[in-house]
Amino acid sequence: MSAPAVETRDLVVRYGDFTAVDHISFSVAPGEVFGFLGANGAGKTTTIRVLCGLLRPSAGFVRVAGRGYEDGERAIKAKVGYMSQRFTLYNDLTVAENLDFIAGLRKLDPGYYARRRRELLELISFQKGLDARVQDLSGGTKQQVSLAAALLHDPEIVFLDEPTAGVTPAGRERFWRLIRLVAGQGKTVFVTTHYMDEAEQCGRIGLMRDGRLVALDSPAGLKKSVFPEPVFEFDPLRSLSSSELSAYAAHEAFAFFESYGPRFHAAAAGPEAWARWAPELEKVFRIRPIAPSLEDVFVRVVEGRP
Amino acid sequence: MNGAVSISVREVCKSFRRFPALHGVSLEFEAGRMHGIIGPEGSGKTTLLRIMLGLLVPAQGRVEYFEDGRPADFEALRPSLAYMPQTQSLYPDLSIDEHLEFFRDLYSLPREIYARKREELLGVTRLAGFVDRPAGQLSGGMYKKLGLMCALLRSPRVMVLDEPTTGVDPISRRELWDLLYRLLDENVLILVTTAYLDEAERCSKVHLVELGRVVAAGEPRRLLEVEGARSFDELFMRRAAASAP
Amino acid sequence: MTFSWRRAAAVARKEWFHIRRDPFTLALALVLPLVMILVYGYAIDFNIKDVRLAVSDSDRSQASRRLIDTFTSSDYFRVHPVDSADDAVRDVAAERARAALIIPPRFEKDLLAGREGRAQVLIDGADNATVGPVSQYVGSIQALASRRIAGSDLTPPYQLRTRFLFNPELNSRWYVIPGLTVVIMAILSIFLTSLTVAREWENGSMELLLSTPVQPIEIIAGKAAPYAALAMLAMAFVYIIARTVFGVPFAGHLWVFGLGCLLFLVAYLAQGLLISVVARQQTIAMQFSMLTGMLPSNLLSGFVFPIASMPKFFWYFTMLLPARWFMVIARRSFLEGSDLAQLAVPFAALALCGAVMTALAVRRFKRTLE
Repeated sequence: MSAPAVETRDLVVRYGDFTAVDHISFSVAPGEVFGFLGANGAGKTTTIRVLCGLLRPSAGFVRVAGRGYEDGERAIKAKVGYMSQRFTLYNDLTVAENLDFIAGLRKLDPGYYARRRRELLELISFQKGLDARVQDLSGGTKQQVSLAAALLHDPEIVFLDEPTAGVTPAGRERFWRLIRLVAGQGKTVFVTTHYMDEAEQCGRIGLMRDGRLVALDSPAGLKKSVFPEPVFEFDPLRSLSSSELSAYAAHEAFAFFESYGPRFHAAAAGPEAWARWAPELEKVFRIRPIAPSLEDVFVRVVEGRP
Repeated sequence: MNGAVSISVREVCKSFRRFPALHGVSLEFEAGRMHGIIGPEGSGKTTLLRIMLGLLVPAQGRVEYFEDGRPADFEALRPSLAYMPQTQSLYPDLSIDEHLEFFRDLYSLPREIYARKREELLGVTRLAGFVDRPAGQLSGGMYKKLGLMCALLRSPRVMVLDEPTTGVDPISRRELWDLLYRLLDENVLILVTTAYLDEAERCSKVHLVELGRVVAAGEPRRLLEVEGARSFDELFMRRAAASAP
Repeated sequence: MTFSWRRAAAVARKEWFHIRRDPFTLALALVLPLVMILVYGYAIDFNIKDVRLAVSDSDRSQASRRLIDTFTSSDYFRVHPVDSADDAVRDVAAERARAALIIPPRFEKDLLAGREGRAQVLIDGADNATVGPVSQYVGSIQALASRRIAGSDLTPPYQLRTRFLFNPELNSRWYVIPGLTVVIMAILSIFLTSLTVAREWENGSMELLLSTPVQPIEIIAGKAAPYAALAMLAMAFVYIIARTVFGVPFAGHLWVFGLGCLLFLVAYLAQGLLISVVARQQTIAMQFSMLTGMLPSNLLSGFVFPIASMPKFFWYFTMLLPARWFMVIARRSFLEGSDLAQLAVPFAALALCGAVMTALAVRRFKRTLE
């Protein structure tokens, strides 16, 4: 087995008294699509900054593409591509100007840059002209160009921090097709998202809560370990008042009861309680057994209700 | 002053220097219901909301406001409209409490009402422990919740939210929706745009907007039946595929 | 809807939080006046003493000696006699002297005959720093001298001392520092306020603000108030330094000067707000306020260049500038001790400027995002 693309042991980042990342340890294999989930403020972006070589950790071991902070200021940066949440392209510059600028920053060889740019624009099937201003592109296209920019220097690992926030479903679908293509070329993709349908497409998922890594497994594995009980969808036959809902949320028949769009997902507390209450519940809900969704997993793990 | 508000948008057109945004949009929004305006970005959703709030002036057509079914003057209603813009719009250097106090004074709320509202909202949003934290240091979900709290302080009769859940984690999303559902009990007209199509199903009525036109409207499940789609994701994917060159 | 004090106060309070948390604003408000007053007060000294004056007296009469005495006794000039007019000119050219006084042979005869007595003063025009003050001194001395010579038989010499009105020591600091109050006020008020509304636009909060019941006039009043307080504080600071560190006398009424400050502030704050209402971006607002606030307050207010000697167009143009009027109020308050009645014209002009600017700012403040 080859060396992991990303490896951390007991990684800690503190800001003053506040511990943003609290002893997290994990590794990611080359070519893996790794989903990094968690509530806002759980420490995802901070961890990514450390892994991109932008933030020296307070303690712990970090190795990214075989390099660490001890190898010098730019050792990690040279091996990774980073597409940040907030900003990657200049809106008032054209696509070509943006890419030229990044090539300049990375000191890419002109011949290599020309070839690589053609390759990447082909990869994202970029239709508009290179002289189109970034502000005139749609959100989805902008994100694809940002991805191309992050891949320009042919990094081994690419970090994508909420790349699809605010992008349309079709745009998100296209973006994930790209992610799979990039991973297929042997690159490691490390991605954060709040869309659970996207998380479903990751090879493995790490779940963060309050600076700790609280779960780490494949989507199917997570569902199995977080929901050992049978799970049901409850479709209310009539509208329920909020007091009724809070009564159900605390009901002894359920180990888990959460809204899911207009419906509810519930996990049975135990076979006896379930058998006792099912007939009564069926008067209020249409009940059918389902497989738990990743959102259910997220809610249960992050809310910390066992 | 507590009548139910409904809004009708009649043949509204609007264009900006670069591109047209709305082409003759007509929509009906009824009091006490949750209306979802759903469409890809650049379809004119934000422009539509801004026109309804009097922040933009339509080039053609008009927006009519009704109170208990009778025509009402926009300026008279203006104080009871609340708006949560899509872009960041809070003050990064002011804390949660300072935001709430600022809006308390802008809405001229009496102290007792403010105290009650504040406690209630902090409870639902679970932000009570962070009242001294500046908005600039809040996480995405907390930030959005604070924005919603500022809007809800004054018990609006119309609540307009532009993509309130974009970039928000699944749990904060649930809390935001819980807050909105509570409003429905108070007969508030809620208008929300969203990019999460599972959220479309939570609305009592959805309006699909594409390229500045309304392409479909109705009760979510009925609409899906009519279009023969299982979910809004599927519906949109199909439409996107059909319109692709 | 009527004006709500509570809403305006809410805006003012919020603005105060911003100021308190932004070290740059506070530093600008307190450090900038300090730096400016020290630079202008210490580093730049317009005072001229012991100017070397080459004197060629071809008349050697009583009248010519009296004229020379007037220069000698004034303290500003150090007289050294030369043999001829040519020598005097050569001394100036060689920078051995800054100026030359040339008295022709028939000077006293012409005077006694009732004709104009002509003496010539040459000043080294290449030395810009001294031309102004020296010619000013020469002018004043000349007036004295002619009285002295003409009335030589009537007036006893001890009454004939060279004295300048209002600023008897011709201390340039006394003249510069009151003018500096204008420049400092102008910079603070226009810079700080022009950024505030633009910041709301950039921050995205304007969209939210416009969807609340708050009215433009309330936003403007609320935003102006804390900056006015800050600028007044800075002004008090400048006043104290002027009086204590530089010993500038204050002959007038503090309340008159204070009222002038306030009126000037209103005008400039309104101008700053107008800029940021129109500009919507902090960088553009900054450049606009440089152009329309700082430059005129420095160059066209009479601070550096006397208004009286400006071309006609600029002479009229300065009448539109609040800085020009406040300059009059500041200098006359400090040096002449003028009261409100004597300053009625500048006060009225300042009030008018302020009213027009405020009206413009409120009118241009749109409630839409167009």
